[in-house]
Amino acid sequence: MTVRGNVRRALARAGGSVARGLAREAARQPVGRPFAEARVVEGRDVRAIPVGDPVTGPEGMGFVDGIQQFAVEGHFGVTPIVRARVAAAVLERREGTLRCAARSVEEFLTVPCGRLTPAQREALDGVELPIRESDAGPRPHPLLDRWAAVQVIEQRRDRCERDAAARFLAARPDAWLVVDGGVTGLAAVPGAERAIGVVKSHETQFLEATDLEAALTLPAGTRSSAFVRRGAGGVEATSWYLRLWPWSEEDLLHGLARVERLMARGALDSADEVSRWVLAERSPIADRDPRWDRLLYPMHHVEVYLRAEAGGWH
Amino acid sequence: MALTRDSVPVIGRVVATEALPASPHQFHFWTPTATPIGIGAIVRVDGEDRTVFGVVLDARAYSDLVTPLHEVIGAEGDPGAPTAPTRRAEIRLWTAAVLRQEPEEPLQPVPLARVRLATPADVTLALRMDAYAQGEPRGAIPVGLYAAGGTRAPVWLDPDFLLGPESAHLNINGVSGLATKTSAVLFLLSAVFQHFPRAKGRIAAVCFNVKGPDLGFLDRPAALTPQDLEMYAALDVAPEPFDQVRFYAPYKADGVNLNTLRTHPELAGSVEPLVWGLREVLDYSEVLLNRDDIDAKADAFLDFLADRVVGKPFVDEWGGRHAVESFGDLERLFRAIFDGLEAAGGRDMWRTHHVATIRKVRNRLMNISTRCKGLVTDDADGNDLPFGAFEDRTVYVVDVAGVDQLGQDLVFTRVVSKLREHLERRDLGVEHVVAFVDELNKYAPADGPETYVRKMLLDLSERGRYLGVVLFGAQQFRSQVHRRVVGNAGTTVYGRMDMDELATPGYQILSPATKIKLATLPKGELMVRHPHFTQPVFVRFPRPASLQGRQGVEQFPPAADVAFDDAVVRQLAALDRRVPAARVKDLIAGRREDDVRRALLATRRARPHDVVAFFAARLGPAVRRQTIGDPAHGADVAPLRTVEDPYAP
Repeated sequence: MTVRGNVRRALARAGGSVARGLAREAARQPVGRPFAEARVVEGRDVRAIPVGDPVTGPEGMGFVDGIQQFAVEGHFGVTPIVRARVAAAVLERREGTLRCAARSVEEFLTVPCGRLTPAQREALDGVELPIRESDAGPRPHPLLDRWAAVQVIEQRRDRCERDAAARFLAARPDAWLVVDGGVTGLAAVPGAERAIGVVKSHETQFLEATDLEAALTLPAGTRSSAFVRRGAGGVEATSWYLRLWPWSEEDLLHGLARVERLMARGALDSADEVSRWVLAERSPIADRDPRWDRLLYPMHHVEVYLRAEAGGWH
Repeated sequence: MALTRDSVPVIGRVVATEALPASPHQFHFWTPTATPIGIGAIVRVDGEDRTVFGVVLDARAYSDLVTPLHEVIGAEGDPGAPTAPTRRAEIRLWTAAVLRQEPEEPLQPVPLARVRLATPADVTLALRMDAYAQGEPRGAIPVGLYAAGGTRAPVWLDPDFLLGPESAHLNINGVSGLATKTSAVLFLLSAVFQHFPRAKGRIAAVCFNVKGPDLGFLDRPAALTPQDLEMYAALDVAPEPFDQVRFYAPYKADGVNLNTLRTHPELAGSVEPLVWGLREVLDYSEVLLNRDDIDAKADAFLDFLADRVVGKPFVDEWGGRHAVESFGDLERLFRAIFDGLEAAGGRDMWRTHHVATIRKVRNRLMNISTRCKGLVTDDADGNDLPFGAFEDRTVYVVDVAGVDQLGQDLVFTRVVSKLREHLERRDLGVEHVVAFVDELNKYAPADGPETYVRKMLLDLSERGRYLGVVLFGAQQFRSQVHRRVVGNAGTTVYGRMDMDELATPGYQILSPATKIKLATLPKGELMVRHPHFTQPVFVRFPRPASLQGRQGVEQFPPAADVAFDDAVVRQLAALDRRVPAARVKDLIAGRREDDVRRALLATRRARPHDVVAFFAARLGPAVRRQTIGDPAHGADVAPLRTVEDPYAP
């Protein structure tokens, strides 16, 4: 009997209704945080800085990413019972070939536990999966309940990624690690100063006025002046925009990535060098992904690897 | 043999999708990009409850690139752009055909399991050779060495399916010079002679040498490389030339120099002349007459000659007595008939045969001794292959390379027909004969008029195995050989092939990759199809241990043709080195060349203890030449009356 089957049977036994259980990976969400503060630390104003010719990053560089999959397996009353699987992996590149160096996987249920009766809770406890509190509040709302579950899932995925990253950085004390997204979440991880964040989404804007315009209209092969942003828990990161592909006749954000590193000695000095490494990752193109202009191929490969490994999870 | 999993490393895994499913006869598997396997490799799949053996037929590699355009974009249009830091994910996807499943029943799709390279024991099982290549008596014939991914294993043919009676015949195919067809056949013949069980009977081979010196030095050792010797050892074949070879060749038109390239003085006497008289030729006159010549009337007259005239006393209507044994005798009979009809007032019928028919047959028959001069003699006596006294494990090489097409057809037809006759009567001396014929497309073409040779080959292909005559045929283009001839070959061997030939319908069953491999096969590698193998298998074989033609003529350059008397001396000296040249030359001085040839042939055939005495006896007493009016010889014959020439100046 599959885990999914166990969950659904437990629901049915405890008087819940079993849903279709369609697998999903994300829920639509509005731009949560459109603006944030930052201070320019390279000159007074943001300008375009040519970074030079692309250079392949050091041998043994790692790339970490994660995936999440979930399914609403049923309801107790109107309370959704969500089963989720999150996974992360670090693929290490040696002689151009990517191989798994660290991996972390977790499968769990996420439910607003406070709304469950003892019998319902007991039924779910019988399923051999950890139960994560979704903290959806006492009053049911079909969309918010699901949103709350997704928040938990994303947190667990972040945790998986952090876990895999930590293991890689510990095992390879000299290796660099490219992270899909920001790096402030890794602040507590030993060796995190060797992490390079490559952010594809630009929902939060840190610059304004002419600085913003200079950053969003960078020519290809240039980076913006660096600035420092503050992340969760007050962790600071040095960041800059980098134009990977020309944007003329395209969207402003076409080919625009934001690179960041934890505030550390040398982080700013190596901005050009790190930018050249990232620039070199334009090829090969992750052409099976619509975000190919910003998604580095090794990151895409990590996703493919994780999905292949998950197989037909459901 | 137990089909246990062993310590052989896993090289791949079977994959199956809706579009590329695994079936009972075919499956797909992936491997890392660095893999020892290739087209033709034999692999083993170990499922939970069954083991499957397969042979790799095709391979594909592709990456996750959606369109080549994205590669251009990634390199920004510059093919010389630095190599991308990450190699794209790519796959090596192999297609294999099932050779065997264990258990055989119920036949099921190939399990989605791990794939290993076949071990030598696996190769034996996969090719179903365990049925005949293990246990005693083995008798299996090694054809070559399977070699793939570091595995080397002998591949054997089942003697019952190569030499009969279950199936028979071998056909070998490939472009000239690169396919090593002759070498392959010679190696296989060695293997047959060494491995064919004596309990199954005696065996000999008749090889027709149709071009150059190809088969002219089978008794001479060749230089072999250590790799060759290693292969011989692995195949359990002794690397030795054939120890019993008999060479036959017709004479050249002069009737004394042999029409072969094996004339080096060191090899003198090793070639027997092949000479046929009227009796030997008449039964195969159909070969010599073209299609238009053959009609019911000519046929009837030929039958009349064969039944009533040749070899029997015959009295014509005009009282003439004839004993027709040779072309010369036949010509005298024809002359008598024409003269008799003329004298009878120009009658146009003789014994129900029209004079025009008689003239046509006479022209064609008498022309034979001209067209095939050297092979066909005007005399009654000939020198033939030792039908009835064939020896076990002996190769009989019939060298007709220097003979024109007509002569080749005649030799080929008559020799094979005689083999059949004797095998049918069980008095050939051996129970099995391999007849090796190169350039089969010439003798049994797919198109063109029906010829006697083709009919005979078809018959041999279809019924020869019951008699013990096995055809080893070779040709450049299989598609140009009659379908029934190649179709009846139980074993088919392919050397390097021509791409145009591979595009013909006969090769549709081969995968594109197999075709490419065939088109680029190195020398010494072959693809073999055999009734026990469910798929063709690639093998390597060593160079023959016999000296090959080209090296043979370099090592033993042919002697130049010599004058008539020297040629006679040379031939007699081949029988006995002590023969005094001056004495022989004295004996033949002033003699008719035909008389000398006849005596020489008789001497060669008899191989007497005292060669010169025998030769002299067969030559008979000399008739002294006498010149009229020569005072030395007296003047007992009156000179002719001298007539004054009125136009003399």
